[in-house]
Amino acid sequence: MDKNTTICNENTFNKVYKEHGKAIWRFIYFKCGNEAQAEDLVQDAFIKLWKNCAKVPVDKAKSFLYTITNNAFLNEVAHKKVVLKHAKHQPDKVEHQSPQFLLEEKQYHEKLQNAIANLTEAQRTAFLLNRIEGKKYKEIAEALDISVKAVEKRMSLALKSLREEIGDI
Amino acid sequence: MEKDYALHNYLNGIATQEEIEQLKADPEYASYIKIAKTTQGFDTPNFDEEATFNAISEKLKQKPKVKKLNPWATVLKIAAVFAVLFAGYLYIDSLGTTISTSVAEKQNFSLPDRSEVALNANSTIEYNKNKWDNNRELELDGEAYFKVTKGNTFTVQTKNGAVTVLGTQFNVFARDKKLQVNCYEGLVSVAFNDTLIKLSAGKNLQIKNGNIVTEHQSIAEAPSWINNESSFENATLETVLNELKRQYTITIDASEDLKNKRFSGSFTHNDLDLALQLICDPLNLTYTIEKDQVTIYATKNK
Repeated sequence: MDKNTTICNENTFNKVYKEHGKAIWRFIYFKCGNEAQAEDLVQDAFIKLWKNCAKVPVDKAKSFLYTITNNAFLNEVAHKKVVLKHAKHQPDKVEHQSPQFLLEEKQYHEKLQNAIANLTEAQRTAFLLNRIEGKKYKEIAEALDISVKAVEKRMSLALKSLREEIGDI
Repeated sequence: MEKDYALHNYLNGIATQEEIEQLKADPEYASYIKIAKTTQGFDTPNFDEEATFNAISEKLKQKPKVKKLNPWATVLKIAAVFAVLFAGYLYIDSLGTTISTSVAEKQNFSLPDRSEVALNANSTIEYNKNKWDNNRELELDGEAYFKVTKGNTFTVQTKNGAVTVLGTQFNVFARDKKLQVNCYEGLVSVAFNDTLIKLSAGKNLQIKNGNIVTEHQSIAEAPSWINNESSFENATLETVLNELKRQYTITIDASEDLKNKRFSGSFTHNDLDLALQLICDPLNLTYTIEKDQVTIYATKNK
């Protein structure tokens, strides 16, 4: 893709959606925990992107989408509890599968999920973007339009309050 | 601080093996690592990428339509506001001026063309001030005396018929089912159903319950009520008493058999006692007045 092409072409638009649609949805979901709301915001964001396609070069589309959804999210109030599921397998745990261990693991997961749901929206979003999405601090800073230092702070505070809530291992 | 630095490196995926070992040695940081690692295995509910894209495409297709409609909607909104204002103007414009008198009240006033109207008690006149120059028409319920200046046709609409003149003096009595027109000067035409009756000066016309009753000369120059007197010629007592009730705030109690007695004469509007005397004496009746209650009965010792 040429850096300066606009998104006003359907193919380009489709590509941008394929590339960022899901990430944007997850980004909002981390914030609000509401699937339907996240979907609405994704739709709105891409519709806005299409309307402003002439003004947004392809390489700015991503930050445009994050900014739009972030602002839109701030305007909405409805928050739900963020519910995560245990999806990715962790092969390094396979060898310890005693029932006792599995139960403890399950309890630990539940506790951790509750604790994550109880984080502030800012901390949770940064933390999950880093952990689940595997984003570097710099990318998170860009998506949230804050400084890297601020991301560090949010990460530290998130870990701290999670540990306080679930206790040591 | 060093450990925090190492922790952030770990979270950013750039920690060295040495740093990780160092973190795991500290229970607090080991907890962080475990939290971080476990969270890594979490996932969000599924996002239906395709359905959302279809929804977006759908909405984008609709957009141009909506865009096209919008300017019209604005125009329509503005038009609606003007329509409402215009309708309001028309409505207010069409609203007539209403002049009413209550019992025992008379009112004299001028119409926009300087025609004079004397409105007898308990009567209402409604006309449109703005259209008066083109259309000299008014509605009357009750009794009024008109001195019309020369000009277009002057029409008095009543429930029982229309009275049309060019310029003249006439009296219209329109109450219940009775319409009575007295012409004092000029020429008056009365449209009643399909009949058009012309009244020259001095003539009088009565329409009662849909029938033309009398048409005969009257010598007065103006209706007597203008001079605070009501005159009757061979009228029923009921008619007389009804008029009396309009001129005085009273209630009258008279037995039914008296009501068909015929009365010719007049009564004043200024003195109830005198008025009752003028009505009762010729008919050989007696009356009593108690506050606002008048009772009339036949004189016994006859």
